Amino acid sequence: MVDMDLSQPPFTLLDDSGRERVVRGVDLLYFNRGEIILDAGQPGEFVYIIHKGEVAELDPHAPSDQARIAHYTAGDLFGAISILKGSSRYRFKVEQESLCYAMPKTLFEHLCDDYPAFADFFQRGLAQKTRLLAERRAESGVNMAGFMLARVSACMRAPLIVEATTSIAAAANRLNESHADSMLVGKDGRFGVVTKTDLLNALVMEGATQARPVVTIAHFELVSAAPDQYLFEALVQMTRHQVARVVVVEQDRPVGVVELTDVLSHFSSRSYMVSLELEQADDLEALARASARLPELVQALMAQGIKLRFVMDLLAALNGRIVDKAYQFLVAPRYRAQSCLLVMGSEGRGEQILKTDQDNALIVADDSDWPDREIAMQRFTETLYTLGYPPCPGNIMVSNPAWVDNESGWRRTVTRWVERRDGASLMNLAIMLDARGVAGDTRLLDRVREHLFASCSHDELLLSYFARAALHFAAPLTLFGTLKTPRHGIDIKKGGIFPIVHGVRTLTLECRINETSTLARLAALAEQGRLEADFAADLGEALALFIELRLKQQLAQLDGRQNSDEPNLVVVQSLSSLERDLLRQALHIVKDFQQRLTHRFHLEY
Amino acid sequence: MIRSLRRVADRRRQADGRYGWLFSPYTGDEMVAIDCETTGLDTRTAELVSIAAVRIQGERVLTSGSLDLRLQPPASLRGDSIKIHRMRGIDLNDGDELGEALEKFLDFIGNRPLLGWCIDYDRAVIDRQLRPLFGFSLPNACLDVAQLYLREMHRTRPQLEPTVNFESVAEALNVPVMGRHTALGDATTTALMYIRLKKGALTTS
Repeated sequence: MVDMDLSQPPFTLLDDSGRERVVRGVDLLYFNRGEIILDAGQPGEFVYIIHKGEVAELDPHAPSDQARIAHYTAGDLFGAISILKGSSRYRFKVEQESLCYAMPKTLFEHLCDDYPAFADFFQRGLAQKTRLLAERRAESGVNMAGFMLARVSACMRAPLIVEATTSIAAAANRLNESHADSMLVGKDGRFGVVTKTDLLNALVMEGATQARPVVTIAHFELVSAAPDQYLFEALVQMTRHQVARVVVVEQDRPVGVVELTDVLSHFSSRSYMVSLELEQADDLEALARASARLPELVQALMAQGIKLRFVMDLLAALNGRIVDKAYQFLVAPRYRAQSCLLVMGSEGRGEQILKTDQDNALIVADDSDWPDREIAMQRFTETLYTLGYPPCPGNIMVSNPAWVDNESGWRRTVTRWVERRDGASLMNLAIMLDARGVAGDTRLLDRVREHLFASCSHDELLLSYFARAALHFAAPLTLFGTLKTPRHGIDIKKGGIFPIVHGVRTLTLECRINETSTLARLAALAEQGRLEADFAADLGEALALFIELRLKQQLAQLDGRQNSDEPNLVVVQSLSSLERDLLRQALHIVKDFQQRLTHRFHLEY
Repeated sequence: MIRSLRRVADRRRQADGRYGWLFSPYTGDEMVAIDCETTGLDTRTAELVSIAAVRIQGERVLTSGSLDLRLQPPASLRGDSIKIHRMRGIDLNDGDELGEALEKFLDFIGNRPLLGWCIDYDRAVIDRQLRPLFGFSLPNACLDVAQLYLREMHRTRPQLEPTVNFESVAEALNVPVMGRHTALGDATTTALMYIRLKKGALTTS
């Protein structure tokens, strides 16, 4: 009768009789704090499964700050790798008195023999750990495998083919129209390639006239590849021949072109392709298609281990372009020049990875004359909805007349908020502070923000009202500094993301920093000396971790693997021990930050 | 006193029998935690429903080689005790015969010292069944974990009036209660409590 939880991997890989063998075969062991269960170099005799308590895995040869390899708590399993490898590489030390199940080596080996999936789990665990360490050594741990296995056909684009009689001027126009860098010229069944560089050289260096047929400058010795060749072979060819593109030939017909930039962006998860598609979109449908590809892009980027802050930057830029494009389609240039479209909230801060609600507003120049503004804005909101941005539940959208005003109107509104300083006004100020201009004349926003800073940054009382919200939710840590583990999970938005974002926002308001992204704000604050550089970096990392955790849940939801609709709730029990450890440390940083805010803005009461 | 006189008598009688070795002093380092589920709380009438024994070796509870016996349903198996140990008559239909079970039990525990929660009760019940069938009582040295806990509490915290009930002691010693009111679960928990007490759980905390 052993109360073992065998509903977690790797035990799920066993069948009932295998689990029965585990239950029958394990012993119970007690360890006091500070005891060393298994020292480095010792042969592994047992696989330990923790029933209660905490065990740290330490590297005895590393300096003390990097010594900690992993942290195990209830339900975790360790020692398997020591058995597989013969001896333990690290030292397992009891951090909190622990009760462990010990599975003897022989039983473990028999299980591995009888259940290949069970054995695989540990082999993979070994590989994962090795990779983790390798990544720690070299920060740029990019997964090459996907790139190496991609075929040429996966990343080629349709060729731009022109007649031999086309003039240089017409060719240049075609290139510009289709946002291409090169074109193929057909002559007598053969094809030659003309690049932008060729055109430039012909016109400038050789003094050719614009009317000269483009075929005279084409290169007919093509560097070609077949569609089913590996992409890296194409890359090798480009390197060997010192060109920036290969022509894909199938049965003597050119079927596509692979540009060096395409290869490189395929390597970086097709980000360039999506942005290209965005730029080339010339109606709303094309835009909607491009916009629908963003989640897939995020998934690919995350899978390759690209740092989250770069993904966020990229996504903020892409989302900005989508909104800008939509604005261009719907609003005449005359009106665009006299207005500024703002995105706000998390999108304004550039922390929105997957699309969420549209938070936007409009500033119109004082002297503008725009008769059907309301109708246009209504249509704009609807258009964004069709592009995949659900409407804002708080109705902070341009279709709401309260968020459309002229410049002096906005100044008055800001002044009113500052004077009133109740909950709603403070929230509106915070939203306004995060606003980022994406389309139109952004100087309008700069002036409104200047006014906002002028009326707030010296008002200590307002600042402490403003800062108080950051303390509203306590970090979900217990009295002893470990993670709280409620069954429904801890809310990392309330407990982690919001305190950091809002605290940093308050400091930004005080220091008049124009940046809107929290990470950029942190960098600016560190530069001004308002925060120590180390602490600012820690806060940034903590925020990135929270956002990453949330993103994982959102992506899981997207895949349909998880049907909870609360991506902010992280169930601690389901995290790996390394993630749990990181989360705990990150929450401690949040707590520390909240204490600093309390001290700075006198929020003790 | 009577018990030790009896033991001497038993020993003489069993000296050349199959169980003579049980009476020789134990020299190893193992102990056995035992627990029984019975049909009542009166040692004169209660009958055995299941017996469990778990060996302890140093700081290790050898749950892998534990003994968990279920017996044929005794006549006195009734609703009130079923509510506690949740063993219905049907669950026991494939159980061992009392004689066989006790034989397995004796072979398992050998002459190792025994350990239990209020072990006097378990021993009284077992002895009552053992004597008619085998002609002797359990000769093993016995240690009551409840008494041990009480003594440790008096020694380390004389000002407190300790509550000695199974769950609260398990909590005080930071031992998870496994499968309460199953013989093996209780035996395992008792074994863990003993190890914690031996390791000075009360003196250090």
